[in-house]
Amino acid sequence: MSRGNVILAALLWAIIAFFVLYPLSILVLESFKISGTDNWGLNNYVEFFRDTYYLKTFGNTLLLSTLLLLTTTIFGVPLAYILARYRHRGKTVFTALILLPIVLPAFAGVFAFIIFFGKYGTLNLLLMDIGIIEEPVNFIYGLHGLVFIQALHMLPFIVLGLSAGFTNIDPSFEEAAEVEGASGFRRFFTITLPLCTPSYLAGAVLVFLWPFTDWLTPLILGQVDFLPSVSYINISYHFTDVHRKYMGIVATVVSAVVCISLFLLARWWVEKRKYTGLSKGTTSEGRVVEPSPFVRLGAYVFMAFIAVLVLLIPIVLGLSAFSRRWVFEPFPTYWTLENFRLILLESPGLVKNSFLFSGIALLFGIAFGLPAAYLIVRTRVPGKDALDFVITLMLAFPGIAVGVSYLLAFWQGIPLATHWIIMPLALFARRLPYFLRMAHSSYLQLDPSLEEASEVSGAGKIRTFFSISLPLLLKGVLVGVVMFFIMAFQEISTAIFLYRGGWETLPIGIYLNWHRGMEFGIAAAMAFLMIVITFILLMIISRIGGGVLKAAWGAGEN
Amino acid sequence: MAFIEIQNLYKCFKKVVAINRIDLHVQQGEMLTLLGPSGCGKTTTLRCIAGLEKPEEGDIVIDGKPMLSKGFVPPSKRGIGMVFQNYAVWPHMKVISNIVYGLKIQKLAKPKIKEKAAQVLALVGLEGLEDRYPAQLSGGQQQRVALARALVGNPKVLLLDEPLSNLDAKLREELRFEIKNLVRRMGITSVYVTHDQAEAMVISDRIAVMDAGNVVQLGTAQEIYQEPANRFVADFIGTMNFIPGEVVETLKDKDAVYVKTEFSPRLLCHRINHTSDLSGAKVYASIRPEDVEVFPDPPTHMENLFQGTIIHKAYLGNFLNFFVRVKETMIRVQVPHHLPQGEGQELYLFLNPEKCVILP
Repeated sequence: MSRGNVILAALLWAIIAFFVLYPLSILVLESFKISGTDNWGLNNYVEFFRDTYYLKTFGNTLLLSTLLLLTTTIFGVPLAYILARYRHRGKTVFTALILLPIVLPAFAGVFAFIIFFGKYGTLNLLLMDIGIIEEPVNFIYGLHGLVFIQALHMLPFIVLGLSAGFTNIDPSFEEAAEVEGASGFRRFFTITLPLCTPSYLAGAVLVFLWPFTDWLTPLILGQVDFLPSVSYINISYHFTDVHRKYMGIVATVVSAVVCISLFLLARWWVEKRKYTGLSKGTTSEGRVVEPSPFVRLGAYVFMAFIAVLVLLIPIVLGLSAFSRRWVFEPFPTYWTLENFRLILLESPGLVKNSFLFSGIALLFGIAFGLPAAYLIVRTRVPGKDALDFVITLMLAFPGIAVGVSYLLAFWQGIPLATHWIIMPLALFARRLPYFLRMAHSSYLQLDPSLEEASEVSGAGKIRTFFSISLPLLLKGVLVGVVMFFIMAFQEISTAIFLYRGGWETLPIGIYLNWHRGMEFGIAAAMAFLMIVITFILLMIISRIGGGVLKAAWGAGEN
Repeated sequence: MAFIEIQNLYKCFKKVVAINRIDLHVQQGEMLTLLGPSGCGKTTTLRCIAGLEKPEEGDIVIDGKPMLSKGFVPPSKRGIGMVFQNYAVWPHMKVISNIVYGLKIQKLAKPKIKEKAAQVLALVGLEGLEDRYPAQLSGGQQQRVALARALVGNPKVLLLDEPLSNLDAKLREELRFEIKNLVRRMGITSVYVTHDQAEAMVISDRIAVMDAGNVVQLGTAQEIYQEPANRFVADFIGTMNFIPGEVVETLKDKDAVYVKTEFSPRLLCHRINHTSDLSGAKVYASIRPEDVEVFPDPPTHMENLFQGTIIHKAYLGNFLNFFVRVKETMIRVQVPHHLPQGEGQELYLFLNPEKCVILP
């Protein structure tokens, strides 16, 4: 190992220490402070777990997680199987639509479904008009609505993992079962599904942890008794009420601990059992079956159902964005561009901030991610595995915990938070794994002998990197770049704690407009604008990366 | 002074010793092969010569210049050409760009580059394919690109890391001779790594057989086949029957010993090593399948003659293969002519004392 590599490792560790480890340790330390004194102790935790309200919150969150996992699994397993195994028309379109929520901001779905499924939303009004119901039905306000909205958002994680599992499974395992006499359902439940548990679990753990991360959906639906929402309310609105502030911090730490430990548990379990086959002549397509017409019809209806629900999000937001005063009517009646005029001309700062902050965060991400990927894949520098580990953990870390820890760490001690640079820095820390994973996996696919051949030919390390490694990595790196940008662009959990007047981004603007209550149209227009921008970026990825499916993969666990 | 001198080379990965203090000299213009099973350290040795691995101890001297002891010389400054196992032809560059990559780094004049590229393309038989991308070439053609790229800069040393292992059998045999001729014609000192004994025997002037990080024998193909240094070499190069036993008498005037084995109390064997009295030593009486002579009926007055039962018999076209059980030991026999005896029948084996050697 050369000295250069060691210096590089030290530098990267210093960055991680300052922007990740330091703020997070401040957060944990703060949770052990006894309010009003300079002493430390477990008091806050004791209070938290003695208070029936917070205990109930914790229970609610666990219940929501369980229901969410159950729902996504029931819908996700057949969906993944259909997408991976059935030969059918429109496979690409359906796959893209079903996976779309992964790249849409979570709040976009919430707004769209409130407009469509709300008490006096389109569906209720339509049903009352034709006289099927007398009174509006409560479709979404409650636990059931929460499960529905979160499930649609998280479904791609289950489908992605499992369909990759179904495709990559060594066909000879199933053929052997077939020869032994196990057919149909039996083979699926005894061979196929168990073999895919590792890929299922990788997605399932992210689904299960989502209620410990998502504070905004419950808040908008008026269901605040969940851990992250309580953290947000306590810290944002009651920062001066010392007791509530500390309860909020403890709630944040508890959520983070749950997330990290479950994530590690799942990772450990997946690592432990990796099933690989030995047969070589497998097709990249995997096993594909020709379903009977009846089954095929069922599959189409099922896929279309999910696809329509996903499509509702951009359609409803679009309708709302181009109209005003859309209330008590199933469809808008007054069409206008006023919303966009307000966003783009009256307060262009939001759009500008969004691009500026995400762009700077992206530059940080590349400057950090490329060397880090090189270090982790190509060198034997001590501490590089730990670096990889810490960065991967950020995938499971709730955004709210990053936001609160930045607030605590960079407000008084190191007054970084007084400058707008804190916004891109926080985005960088939060979305770090997205770029690194892509750079990392493309580096892994780059055969080292290609670089060695260049060195033997007389090229130095730097020249080798620019004329051999970088051109070959470019595809993966570009996909990572766009994916990082999309994720940074819609980030709200960290930003909501750090923004000051003039630093608002589009997601914050959406939240504030909803919060004020009256400007729903502007919020919807902003969300629509974000979807359009995301969509354009996705098209770019699919151009580079070959297919929307691959594009969406970048966001998932792979 | 040898052209490449490997001196006391030691390399370990974490706690696994890959190369255990080996010394090896390669003469100018010689083709030396490092032969051994996977994990024996042959590729690591080659990569140390290239500078792609840094050994913990020892030195490598190429053409009089130390590569390690007077500061580490990086691979880019060693003046070597290398052919990688998976070719490592850069997929984003055309054939011609792949080949002239190193010449451009040397900042050669454009006409000179053109001339050299044309020469080497003709040499490896790739004329007309200059503007293809590697993905548009067959495995054998990619192999030729890799070879051309390694040769174009007239390297002092050519290193080849199992260059034929990814090709199919027919092509592999063709290319063996082609590479041998090419390298000999250009007179480049080269080190060739393979685990295929037939390939090593065809291609090299000398073979270094490696096992567990050590060079266990160094010599020409003939020397190694006929006088293997130990059981490992005998077993790795070709096939050998081993009959465990103990030396009971050393004949001083002849190069022979009597060995007490399961077969007989006095099995007469040839010995390669003349120096010492071996009486009492545990050895293996060893004979190659093709050196065992067989008789349907016992000839009279012959030493080293044993009766056995045929367990398996296989017809392989140009010869017959037998597994014959003598007492509790299975002996492999290969005869170039037809024999009427079948499985289950008796046969007499003559272990010719001239061909039956003892190995430690």
